[in-house]
Amino acid sequence: MANVLDLRRRIRSVRNTRQITKAMKMVSAAKLRRAQERALTARPYAAMLTSVLQSLKRRADVYDPTTGDLRHPLLMTREEKNILLVVVSGDKGFAGAFNANIIKAATKFLNENGDKQIDVEALGRKGRDLFRRRFPAARYSDAQPQEDGQQEAVRRERHRSNPIEFVGESTVVLDKVRFDDVRALGEEIVARYTHEEIDAAYIVYNEFKSVIQQRIVVERVLPIIEPGRQEVTAAEEMTQEERRRTAEAAASAGVSLEAQQEADEEEKRFGTADVDYIYEQSPREIFNAILPRYITAQLYHAVIESVAAENAARMTAMDSATNNASEMIDSLTLTMNRVRQAAITKEIIEIVSGASALS
Amino acid sequence: MADTNKLRVRLVTPDRILVDTDADAVEVPSKSGYLEALFGAAPLLAELGTGEVRLHGAQEGDQRFNVARGFVEVLPDRVTILAESALKPEEIDTARAQSELQEGQKVWNEAGEDAEQYVRANEIIAEAESKLASAAHKS
Repeated sequence: MANVLDLRRRIRSVRNTRQITKAMKMVSAAKLRRAQERALTARPYAAMLTSVLQSLKRRADVYDPTTGDLRHPLLMTREEKNILLVVVSGDKGFAGAFNANIIKAATKFLNENGDKQIDVEALGRKGRDLFRRRFPAARYSDAQPQEDGQQEAVRRERHRSNPIEFVGESTVVLDKVRFDDVRALGEEIVARYTHEEIDAAYIVYNEFKSVIQQRIVVERVLPIIEPGRQEVTAAEEMTQEERRRTAEAAASAGVSLEAQQEADEEEKRFGTADVDYIYEQSPREIFNAILPRYITAQLYHAVIESVAAENAARMTAMDSATNNASEMIDSLTLTMNRVRQAAITKEIIEIVSGASALS
Repeated sequence: MADTNKLRVRLVTPDRILVDTDADAVEVPSKSGYLEALFGAAPLLAELGTGEVRLHGAQEGDQRFNVARGFVEVLPDRVTILAESALKPEEIDTARAQSELQEGQKVWNEAGEDAEQYVRANEIIAEAESKLASAAHKS
């Protein structure tokens, strides 16, 4: 049996670990609160954009006069041969199964679409590192400098040699999400779609409605089938157990579960009125301008929610770790006391038996 | 509301709600030129160009904001401006705007035959120039 000194050292070490996990939990909770707030402030914009889009759709001139279809490159469906998959994971570990779940969902998607050519783009260091190792990087021919020193203006030519390739060009930093970075990514995706380099774009991310309402979704962003409706192709809800754990962690860290209601009311205030607008530009023009923005808004929304979800996951994981450490300290303390008592008892017996042998 | 001849003006970006106030009139840079909305304007929807949104007769006094890329919805009693970028004049980083301007000119010079690149260059230049103009107008 271990001696008292060893046990005392063990306890001290576990206590130190508990302090660290507790601090990490509080930090994640603070970050979660901030991320939640960001997600809320992004909502009116997204809701407004969607409602403008829907009100535009009611106008006849946006439609093709002969077929009656909406006409826009981003609305055209083609046979899905080349797909872009955007995976939004976290930057850091210590977040329970957060990154693993995202990667699992992405891998499942890749397996299901094994017969197609897929480009993988990853936001977040964890996913990026993994997919960069797993799949070969996309190769492009260098833009040839022409004789007069000007760069060739055509888009870089792609040399595809593998069914699944990794394109990691995004500059989005999850720790500090800036709209402009997301916009660059969105514009790139839109450009690739209109140049028919890709036939569809999907995004895998952790949706975050509230602390206890989360799920991992695979969502199609392009082509747009119906504006304003989420095109979820696969979703994985939280289990009861996870939900309970997260709720407990949130309660102990002082994060409210019901931050959303207020925002929903906010969203309603921005709904478009049911009136016939005068269009400063032609509806077609506005429609064409709004669609790429809609894509970007969707991406931004996904990234922001994923950041919130990551911090929620980390908070939960660290809460569990803190609880486990506490339990461990309790059980170690018990053992230590027993060992100490055993030693004392042993000594007393020795003294008593020694004394009785003398008399 | 007691004073019914006020417009409710909102300026919304993906990051924040910049303005939510009442004003007498608001000037908005649409893609095809500035337009001014007063109380009782006919419903209108326009794409936003680059330039300044100016609020007149707001509680906090006249205000200016540099905006780019977005939409404006005018209703008789409210104006909602959606912009991907909206800054108060004092928030504009002139050094950054300068480098954006140079970036735009570089894109323009290297565009060659590509029409898309020219459009992009024009957008970048217009945005940077309007930022600089707003910042210079600060005093």
